[in-house]
Amino acid sequence: MYHLRSLIRQVRAEVLVLPSRVIALVFVIGLLLFPLLTQDPYLLRMLILASLFSIYAASWDLLAGYAGQISLGHALFFGVGAYTTALLGLHLGLHPYLTVPLGAVVATLAGLFVGVPCLRLRRHYLALATLAFPLMLTGIVFMFPNFSGGEGGIWRIGRLASTRVGEYYLIVGVMLVAVFSLWRIAGSRVGLIFHAIREDEVAARALGINIVRYKLLAFAISGFTAGVAGALYAHFARIAGPSNLDLFMSFQPVIWTIFGGAATIYGPVTGVFVLYPLLDSLHVLLPQYRMLLFALLILFILRFMPQGVTTWIRDAIETSCPSCRVRNAATRRACRACGTPLRN
Amino acid sequence: MVADILVNGLVRSGVYAMLAVGFGLVFGVGRVLNLAHTAFYMVASYGIFHFVATGLGTPLAVFLTSLGVIAVGLALYKFFIEPVREMEATVLIATLAVAILLQELLLVFFGSEIRHVPAAFPGYSRIAGVRLGNQEMATLVLAAISLLGTWLVLSRTRLGLAIRAAAQDREVANLMGINVNRVTTIVMALGFLLASLAGAAVAPLLPVEPRMWMHPLVIVLAAVVLGGLGSLKGSVIGAVILAFAEVLVVFLVPGGSYLRTAIALLIMVCVFLVRPEGLFGAGATEER
Amino acid sequence: MRSLFACLVLTVALGIGTCGQVIRIGVVGPMAYIQGEHHWYGAILAAEEINAAGGIDVDGTKYTIELVRIDSNEMQPGPEAVGAVERAITALKVDFLVGGFRTEAMLAMTEVAADYKKIFLIAGAADDALLKGRVDKNYDRYKYLFRVTPVRSTYLAQVSFILLREVVETFRRELGIEQPKIAIVAEQAAWANMIVTLVALQAGAPVDKGGFGGQHVGTWRPSALATSVAAELSAVERAGAHIVFTVFSGPVGVVFGRDWGRLQIPVATVGINVEAQAQGWLEATGGFGAYTATVGIYAEGVAVTEKTIPFVNGFRTKFGEIPLYTAGTYDAIHILADAIRRAGSLETDAVIQALEVTDYVATLGRVAFDELHDPIWGPEHLTGLGVQWQEGAPRAFWPREWRPDPTAQPDLVIGYPGTVPYQIPPWVVDHWRGTGK
Repeated sequence: MYHLRSLIRQVRAEVLVLPSRVIALVFVIGLLLFPLLTQDPYLLRMLILASLFSIYAASWDLLAGYAGQISLGHALFFGVGAYTTALLGLHLGLHPYLTVPLGAVVATLAGLFVGVPCLRLRRHYLALATLAFPLMLTGIVFMFPNFSGGEGGIWRIGRLASTRVGEYYLIVGVMLVAVFSLWRIAGSRVGLIFHAIREDEVAARALGINIVRYKLLAFAISGFTAGVAGALYAHFARIAGPSNLDLFMSFQPVIWTIFGGAATIYGPVTGVFVLYPLLDSLHVLLPQYRMLLFALLILFILRFMPQGVTTWIRDAIETSCPSCRVRNAATRRACRACGTPLRN
Repeated sequence: MVADILVNGLVRSGVYAMLAVGFGLVFGVGRVLNLAHTAFYMVASYGIFHFVATGLGTPLAVFLTSLGVIAVGLALYKFFIEPVREMEATVLIATLAVAILLQELLLVFFGSEIRHVPAAFPGYSRIAGVRLGNQEMATLVLAAISLLGTWLVLSRTRLGLAIRAAAQDREVANLMGINVNRVTTIVMALGFLLASLAGAAVAPLLPVEPRMWMHPLVIVLAAVVLGGLGSLKGSVIGAVILAFAEVLVVFLVPGGSYLRTAIALLIMVCVFLVRPEGLFGAGATEER
Repeated sequence: MRSLFACLVLTVALGIGTCGQVIRIGVVGPMAYIQGEHHWYGAILAAEEINAAGGIDVDGTKYTIELVRIDSNEMQPGPEAVGAVERAITALKVDFLVGGFRTEAMLAMTEVAADYKKIFLIAGAADDALLKGRVDKNYDRYKYLFRVTPVRSTYLAQVSFILLREVVETFRRELGIEQPKIAIVAEQAAWANMIVTLVALQAGAPVDKGGFGGQHVGTWRPSALATSVAAELSAVERAGAHIVFTVFSGPVGVVFGRDWGRLQIPVATVGINVEAQAQGWLEATGGFGAYTATVGIYAEGVAVTEKTIPFVNGFRTKFGEIPLYTAGTYDAIHILADAIRRAGSLETDAVIQALEVTDYVATLGRVAFDELHDPIWGPEHLTGLGVQWQEGAPRAFWPREWRPDPTAQPDLVIGYPGTVPYQIPPWVVDHWRGTGK
């Protein structure tokens, strides 16, 4: 009873005061209750994929948005996760609950493998060097078709759960945990250091921050999460193929994140949950002009909200206190933390 | 065999170098990593296809196409890219969206079939015992002329001086009375011109289809960073290295021709291990 | 664009004009591409014919066919193909599926069909693994999958070997080259590997041991999306090859055909080149693709069965092109209708049982399914054609005087009316004439 009451108090003090957090709460509850409304397999499929891609996009946001290590080859981690779980299942017959974490671990190693040579690279060099890795891995996949399935990919992959609803709760659950963890990491001391590295690497080093360690940490965390997404994707789509390593696969998390708002973690999630269902329904409505409208939408959004949708909305419904930087609902007259009057 | 490698490598180098130099210029002056660069090259190929199909002569078709590509490119740049130019990641996605937009527009107007453009210089010749299409030779000549022209503009004219100044330091150049925005626009136009010339040159050589921008994009990006961002000499040399790497793979490891792009990229990554700023790039400290 | 609109109108018309009992058939294909277009066109022709004849008689009730266009967007990677099929089954309520093109996408899409227990007649994907290892290993799950066209890639390979043998023979006969040198240029794709290995192995083996009696001079494997193979062709010429055996399904086929003709590389090409089956081949290669020879399904004026020419002509009148093999959706729908009639029920299991004993003369040949649910290949069943571009049209040069089994059945000679002899490209003849080596 005590715990419940403190939980309610906490919700009231930390969540209900900010419109953005209310939206997030509503979103989470809505996502969890969705199967009670309808169990239409197609809609569930759409939300499952959106959840998977949310994990993937958020992992890019941590690496690029926070730590400033813009990677244009993120498909490497996604693909490594997918291929690892698929290959372990195919050749050793292991259970998905074992191979998915292993896939994530291997993706973490891939993150370190890419991270080490990229430590010395800056900005655009880094972006373009990372671009090369998934394409090189595709070459390797093609070289050993008997082992890797070649261009046809691997399709004998076990399901995560026997029903669609089961898969839904599993993947949505993983997504919520992963995104929440990333959000906490981004808000922690580590996240601050990532910020510092992104803003000014030399200054950060001068402050005694071990840049190498933190950059590698960013690559490892990001690789791990993207690996989780890739591995789950392989089990859900029941195929791991070269398309998981494709150039467009690398660009997608960038599109979602920038569209939603970089360096926020919830931005990419929003981006995916807006863009993915939209793209999918355009498939039904206007299949011919689907990508055309998609490109136009992105261009116009970026033109008028260059910081992304969530940042734009957040700034519209919330203000930040000039003296203590705590965020407040735009309707408040005084800061909820320090009482400083807010302009209004 | 050596002659084969040399000749084939040179032709490929020419096209890659034209694209890489345009891309490098735009990045150097405009600080825009234009992922749509090769999409304009694709648009140019389609333009040539369209105009030649309507019966115009090749020179007129090339002229009209270049004009059109420059106009479309500048319009897209002014409206979508320039306002967000300061935000690197946003530019990245905006230019990518422009590329997809162009791809989809071409898909709507021309469909997905592979189009063929009749060669302006049909037939072939033998050079050092190697069979070389006349069109390939023309491409090589065009590449040489346009690269030379670019070099002359940059090194011998006042405009070139302004471009180089803006590339080195936008703020200072601005303070020195150079209209940096205008210079950027001019450089953009120059980049689009080089892209459309490259597109015109390869239109009769390559299958013209709405996805033809992807592979050259990867190679051009690799060539530009391999040579060092901001160094035009570097871009050319990067393009030559990657082109020869691809051709060498085809000749020496025939069963692995499909690996040629992967191996070209591997070379790029290996260079980075030794020189993180590329072969001729500005040092890390200068780049800030 | 106009054709798309026409198609939509047609779908609606087919649907509304015949309200009452309908069977909804989903046509799966990459609709933005010619392969998908032909999936759709073939299906339209079949549905129109069946509906015009009053529909399918199922145990006394007349059912008409309504087509649902499913754009699987297979050419682009991503989960869309699977999503499209799932949407068709759950939201658009299709009863049967036909079509499909890319192996990678098809493997995943057929899984969905198996999940929902929907019959999927594959028309367009050749990989053995779509059925082998599935229907035989796990019949209860995968019994819903059948393939109508093309024959599986093992058999495609077999046909391409026969074609290569024809060409080797022609070189011996006409140019006096006893041991032609054979180069292999194959796209890097899983389905091509086995073919490449076998040809490389057999090229040098003597004829009486089942080989080609030639000499293997090298294998080149460009990417399926390569945009230039001039370097590969230079290397092939340098190797002194007389014949190039090609294995292409992707756009590299066009690139190859064009560079080959443009540079007048003195080698004859034969093998598999899917792009060369399309009407637009000569146009796409700028006319340089003439004399390309490939395994094909349809050709100018060749009557594989009595249904072939009416179908090809009908298709051409209506859509202005000769059908690609993906237009095998036409046969697929007719075979499905035939099975439903015989089953006298729309019950999935009953239809499967009826399909398994299919013996139907289609435009492709006589279709019957083996235990893998693959169409049987061989004399008197499906054979495929050897097609060469001659005088601006795809003409069949095989089977002309084919003796499938000269020892056991010396009298069995297969030849379809309308076939013509294979021609070595003139510049190749000029180059090698009188050299005798």
